[in-house]
Amino acid sequence: MAAPRHATMQSISNGGTQGSDRPHTQQSQQAQQSQQSPGLRVPSNRKTIYDRHLNRSRNAELSRASFAFLFGEMVTYAQRRVTGIQDLEKRLNEQGYPLGLRLLDLLFYRSTSTSSSALSSSSTSSSPPNRPLRIITLLHLIHGPLWRLLFGRAADALEHSVSPDTPNEYMITDNDPMVNTYISAPRDMSMLNCAAYVAGIIEGVCDGCGFETKVSAHNQPTELWPSRTVFLVRFGDAVMEREKVLERAGVK
Amino acid sequence: MSSTKTSRIGEEIWKTRVDKVNAELVTLTYGTIVAQLCQDYDSNYQDVNKQLDKMGYNIGMRLIEDFLAKSGVGRCANFRETADMIAKVGFKIFLNVTPTVTNWTSDNTQFSLIFEDNPLADFVELPDDGRAQDELWFSNILCGVLRGSLEMVQMQIEAHFVSDVLRGDDTTEMRVSLVRYIEDEMPPEEE
Amino acid sequence: MPDKHRGVFSLIIINKAGGLIYQREFQAGLRKLSTNDYLVLAGTFHGVHAITRSITPKIPISQPAQPPATSSTGTAAPATSGYSYPNPGVPVSGLDHLETDKFRLTCFQTLTGTKFLLFTDPLTGSVDTIIQKIYELYADFVMKNPFYQIEMPVRCEAFDRHLGAWLRGRT
Repeated sequence: MAAPRHATMQSISNGGTQGSDRPHTQQSQQAQQSQQSPGLRVPSNRKTIYDRHLNRSRNAELSRASFAFLFGEMVTYAQRRVTGIQDLEKRLNEQGYPLGLRLLDLLFYRSTSTSSSALSSSSTSSSPPNRPLRIITLLHLIHGPLWRLLFGRAADALEHSVSPDTPNEYMITDNDPMVNTYISAPRDMSMLNCAAYVAGIIEGVCDGCGFETKVSAHNQPTELWPSRTVFLVRFGDAVMEREKVLERAGVK
Repeated sequence: MSSTKTSRIGEEIWKTRVDKVNAELVTLTYGTIVAQLCQDYDSNYQDVNKQLDKMGYNIGMRLIEDFLAKSGVGRCANFRETADMIAKVGFKIFLNVTPTVTNWTSDNTQFSLIFEDNPLADFVELPDDGRAQDELWFSNILCGVLRGSLEMVQMQIEAHFVSDVLRGDDTTEMRVSLVRYIEDEMPPEEE
Repeated sequence: MPDKHRGVFSLIIINKAGGLIYQREFQAGLRKLSTNDYLVLAGTFHGVHAITRSITPKIPISQPAQPPATSSTGTAAPATSGYSYPNPGVPVSGLDHLETDKFRLTCFQTLTGTKFLLFTDPLTGSVDTIIQKIYELYADFVMKNPFYQIEMPVRCEAFDRHLGAWLRGRT
C-alpha cells in the first residue's frame, strides 16, 4: 500500500518510524567526521526519542493559543503559494495527512498496550480488532478515539449519505472545530474552511488503515453553531468492492 | 519584581487562565510545518532556519498581545527582569516549560535560556542525511517569537540557538542579546 | 433585569500610528459621527495622548542617576538630566479618561501602543474590567486570526460576534 501520497511523509520523523531499524548504540564522533558513515549523534545523557516512553506526552497539555499561532502561521505560509481557495485547502489537507498516519500508530499502540477498549466502542466483538477492516469500524475509530485524542471529545455526528448514487459517502460533523476557533475568513473567501487540515488528518488515518479516501471540510453553519463543519468522507471504488466481499464473508 | 513572584504568576496563569489542548497535536503540527519547509526548500537548512525565524517573528508580534492580556503584567524595570518574565511567564503559559536563565554577561545585556524540556521537539529525530544535525535548528521558530514579541514592547533583540539535543548536544541552549531599546520607551532604569 | 454592561455605548481601537482600526456601537447612546469624523477623533485623541505623555511633570532628583545598561540606547534623557518622574516605578501614561456630564471616555493603552477607547455612561462601574476583557477578546479573535494583518482595520467576524455576545452578558 505504498500510495503515492506517502511520498509526502518527511524524513523528519515526528513519529519515530524512520531509522527505527538503526541500532542506536553505534553513535560516535566518527559520524560527524565522515559522511560515509551515517548515523545521528546523540547526547551523552541519551535524551533521544528512543529513550522516552511513547506515553510520556499522552496526557500532556499545551496552550490552545500556541496551537492557534502555529496553525495560523501554517495557513499564512500556505496562502502565499497557492492559486485559490481549493488549492489552499489542498495544501492544508496535505499538511494534515502525515499526522493521520502517525496518530493511527499512536492510537493502536495505546489501545493495545493499555488494554483499554478505546477502539471497541463501535465493535460488537469482544476483543477489539487491532485494525479496522470495515468502513463503519473505521469511522467510529475516527469519530470517537481519534477526535478524543486530538480535541478531547468525540465528534458530534456520523452519518451515511442517504443518496443511492453515493453509497461511498459518509459525513462526520463537528459543531465547533477547535482549529477554527479564532479564525475569521475574509468575505471574499467565505467558502474556505481551514479545517481542511483536519480533513487531511482523517485522510491519513483512513489511508494508513488501507482505505483509500478523499476527505474534504465544508462550512454548514447553523444559528447556534456558526462554524459547524461537515467532513465529507468519500471512499474509493476498491474500498467499496472489498466492503461487499467482507460483508458476504461475515467479517466485522 | 522578585524571581519567585514571577514564577508564581506564570504558574497561576497556566493553571487558571490558559485554555489547553492536547500537547501532541501541537507537537505534531509544528513537526509538519518544519517538514513542509524542508520539502519546500529542498533541504536547504539555512533557508529553513531563516523561514522558521520569520514565522516566529510573525507569531511573536501577535502573541505579545495575548501574553499581556492574559498576564496583565506591566513593563519590566530592566533586561534581567525581562529575561525572567520570558522564562517563567512567557514559556510557562505558552509551552508549559520554564527554561533556566543563565550565563549573563557582566553588562546584563546577554543571557542564555537552557531548555530541560522542549515540547516542540518531542518525537523528533532529525533526518540522517549527514547535514541536518549540523545545519538545521529545529526549534528556530522560538528565536523569531522572542524577537517579534520583544520588538512590540520596544526592545530590539537578537536570538539564536547555540546547542540542541537533537543535534547530539547535551543541552538545548538559546542565546539572547539586547541590541537596544527602541524610541523613547526607556524603562525606568533610574532605580 | 439589570445588566452590568448596559452603560457601554461604543468602542474604538486605535493602532500604534494613530489610525482608526475599529469602531462599533453597542447601543443607542452616542450620536453617530461620519466615518471621516471618527478618523479625525482617533487621530486627534492619539495626538493629545502623546502630548499629555510628554508634558508629564518631572522632579529633580538628588542622587546621580545610574547610567543605562547599554551604551547604544541613545535616548536616556530622564536618567542623565537629573530629573525623574515622580514615583518612577509607575510608567508614564497619557490621558486616560475624559468625562462629560453625559458620558465617559476611558482609554487603555497596551504596552505595544494599541489604544482601546471605551465610551460608557458616567455611572457605569468596573470599566477597567470591561476593557481588560475586550483586550483578551482582541488577543484571541483578532491576533490569532491568520487573515488579520497587523495594524490594519479589524474585520473579524468572530471578534464582532464574541464581543457582542459578551457585552450582552450571554457568555
